[in-house]
Amino acid sequence: MSFASIQFLLFFPLVTILYFALPHRLRWLWLLGASYFFYMSWNPGYGFLLAASTAITYYSGLLIGKAQRLPDPVKSIKMKKLWVTASFVLNLGILFTFKYLNFFTGIFSDIFTPLGIPVDRTPFHLLLPVGISFYTFQALSYTVDVYRGDLKPERHFGKYALFVSFFPQLVAGPIEKSKDLLHQFSEKHQFHYDRARRGLLLMLWGYFQKVVVADRLGQLVNTVYNNPGKYGSAPIAIASIFFAFQIYCDFAGYSNIAIGAAQVLGFSLTTNFRRPYFSRSIKDFWRRWHITLGAWFRDYLYIPLGGNRCSSARHCFNLFIVFAVCGLWHGASFSFIIWGTLHGLYQIFGLLLKPARQKALTILKLDPDSRLNHVMQTIFTFVLTDFAWIFFRANTVQDAFTLIGGLFRPCDLSNGALFSLGLTKPEFFAALIGIAVVLAVDILSRNADLRNRLLKKKTAFRWAAYLSAAILILIFGVYGSQYTAQQFIYFQF
Amino acid sequence: MKKLIFKGLLFLTVLTLILASLSNLFIYKIDHRGKLLEGLYNSDDPYDVVLMGSSHMNGGIDPNVLWKQYGMTSFNYATGGQPIDVTYYLLKEVLKQHSPSVVVVDLYYLGLTNEYGETGFISNALDNIRFSKNKIEAIQNCTPPNEWINFLLPALKYHFRWSSLKSVDFTYDSSSIYYLKGFSAGTSRYGKQDVSYADTDKKQEIPEKSLSYFYKFIQLSKEKGFQLVFVNMPCDYTESDRANGWVNDCEAMFNTVADLCQKENIPFVDLCDQMDEIGLDFAQDMNNSGHLNVWGAYKTSSYFGKYLKQNFTFADHQSDSELTARWNQDYSHSLAASVENGTAGT
Repeated sequence: MSFASIQFLLFFPLVTILYFALPHRLRWLWLLGASYFFYMSWNPGYGFLLAASTAITYYSGLLIGKAQRLPDPVKSIKMKKLWVTASFVLNLGILFTFKYLNFFTGIFSDIFTPLGIPVDRTPFHLLLPVGISFYTFQALSYTVDVYRGDLKPERHFGKYALFVSFFPQLVAGPIEKSKDLLHQFSEKHQFHYDRARRGLLLMLWGYFQKVVVADRLGQLVNTVYNNPGKYGSAPIAIASIFFAFQIYCDFAGYSNIAIGAAQVLGFSLTTNFRRPYFSRSIKDFWRRWHITLGAWFRDYLYIPLGGNRCSSARHCFNLFIVFAVCGLWHGASFSFIIWGTLHGLYQIFGLLLKPARQKALTILKLDPDSRLNHVMQTIFTFVLTDFAWIFFRANTVQDAFTLIGGLFRPCDLSNGALFSLGLTKPEFFAALIGIAVVLAVDILSRNADLRNRLLKKKTAFRWAAYLSAAILILIFGVYGSQYTAQQFIYFQF
Repeated sequence: MKKLIFKGLLFLTVLTLILASLSNLFIYKIDHRGKLLEGLYNSDDPYDVVLMGSSHMNGGIDPNVLWKQYGMTSFNYATGGQPIDVTYYLLKEVLKQHSPSVVVVDLYYLGLTNEYGETGFISNALDNIRFSKNKIEAIQNCTPPNEWINFLLPALKYHFRWSSLKSVDFTYDSSSIYYLKGFSAGTSRYGKQDVSYADTDKKQEIPEKSLSYFYKFIQLSKEKGFQLVFVNMPCDYTESDRANGWVNDCEAMFNTVADLCQKENIPFVDLCDQMDEIGLDFAQDMNNSGHLNVWGAYKTSSYFGKYLKQNFTFADHQSDSELTARWNQDYSHSLAASVENGTAGT
């Protein structure tokens, strides 16, 4: 069940009303049932995989807790390592089988077949369960937190199962840490009118980002990216800029709907995006983009590898590995690996060139804290990020290089060709206005809580704003039979 | 919680009203819309006969011919691809404003085996019916549940038109097409003979849902006191017999229809079997394999009008000078007049 469906718009109010109507002791059960229903509406079989991941991490948590109580510290550590390894192997095994098996079989086949070693590359015909990477990482974070002693093992299987399957963030995050979310399922939530209003407003904004902005931009992006050899510099540049905002609005839109929905129910989820295209470096970008995934990799991979408290070479190696794995997390394809690796390389070069950059600023007599320098850094970061998005969006690596080559092929758009790229003239300008609105909200929300501001306005103003927003989404939104239905991009991860 | 639910419901109500008021703007301004607005709501003319059905009827019987030759007032409510269930609810809508003595229903769409017709075709009719209990029932019974919201609030179905709205969408006036009385036919000549006709005694069952509506028409005629006449229009069944979602032997199905009509004592005029009597030349009088052209429709209307005149009694409208003058004036602009004066198709 997608957030952008009639089913969800009926499902969510029903779940909320009954959640608060039920006695506290039954609420976890209701939410658990609702979450599995939500997930299994895609494919009932998915529920078994979700339950399997839940059971593995639940019991590994209990076993790690048991190992912690062993009197022999050496044996205790050994057993803890055994159970945490078992949890990782089993969970990542499931993830690997469903998401990466065909990819790696293909690679092995390409390597070994020419050497005369036959490799069976019969594809594994099972549909990739939506959001498997998200819930697997969330469940694994629990195993690690218990292993590190940051969290006591959860004994209530139902509440733990709800932590893994909580429907607002199940299929596309935010990826919550167990220490932040798990305890909330035992708290008694009273219905708060203002909190619910804030949640609903955030959901409304998320729907605007997704339905009005992201899906409209996607029309032009799909036209250009699905015909990589057909277009020259301007269409490819426009499509690539549009894709940067499409994926931002798509994913941030989903996150906002998820956070808003959880807020209505009384739960607090982690902010996942914070004005990412105003970043002044790639490092800064990763503090603002998909924050919960960045935090996961930082806490559970980057720091265990040694982080930056090591030699410069090792630091660069750690960055490279983390971002290559981050790319692979997004999808079983070389284009995602290249995308991730590019981000790793950007940061490595950023580190290596830091003295040179500082020297350049001195020569140019440019104050590092000046507005001009900040603007230049922001634009440069956007260009780097957007260049990497080409690999992320292109259907194949070959397509990505074709598109990059096309960037150097002049193209005349003066004869109306601009409006034959999947968006008519009014639609194209609506897309630009959409981007402008998103950027304006990003700027305005820097120093102010826009939702609070709106909620303090007079009733007539607020209602006019709510109704206008809803009408705007329903009339100018890209949905329905005339448009190709577009799923949230991050579901595939 | 109650406060939020109350305000939420109020919000949804206001939002629905706004969308409902925007719907008329977004609905396509095609002739089907014009004729239904005129025939259902704008016209106070007393109709002796109403003509219902799909495109076969839309381009088959011309009310202007019935008026000119037999003095009958009638209106053709048929729209392209109109499934039989939609025809039933459309007739109920007609009967809210008009009290015809005869209702003629084209049964071509009895052959539909799918549960629902094509959404676009259903829209031709249902989008142009005003919100009412009858419309809700029509949507509930004639459209798949996932389309209900789009039929209740057409603005959601056609919202993509925001970027292509034209001035006619804001100022649409359907009165300019009333003179056609709902009739519309093409001016092409098919040029081929009917290859499907075979005199057969075979019978084929009517699809279950269609059969239930066949009986609903009969029930409605008893309740409302009008004379029901079922018809089948001239057609080459070859394409229909091969189509997915359609009975595979239309001729055999209409044999079953004839039997049922005899049993229920309802007149069934199978014009497809009476092409020689009508004087139709299939190659010259059809627009394509399934639809009459203006010349064929003229002949068929003339023939069928005679049948109606001989079998039913209608009011004499000559005493109503205003109506007579207006209908005569309408006739002078009609397709039938263009057939008579030889300007049709030019």
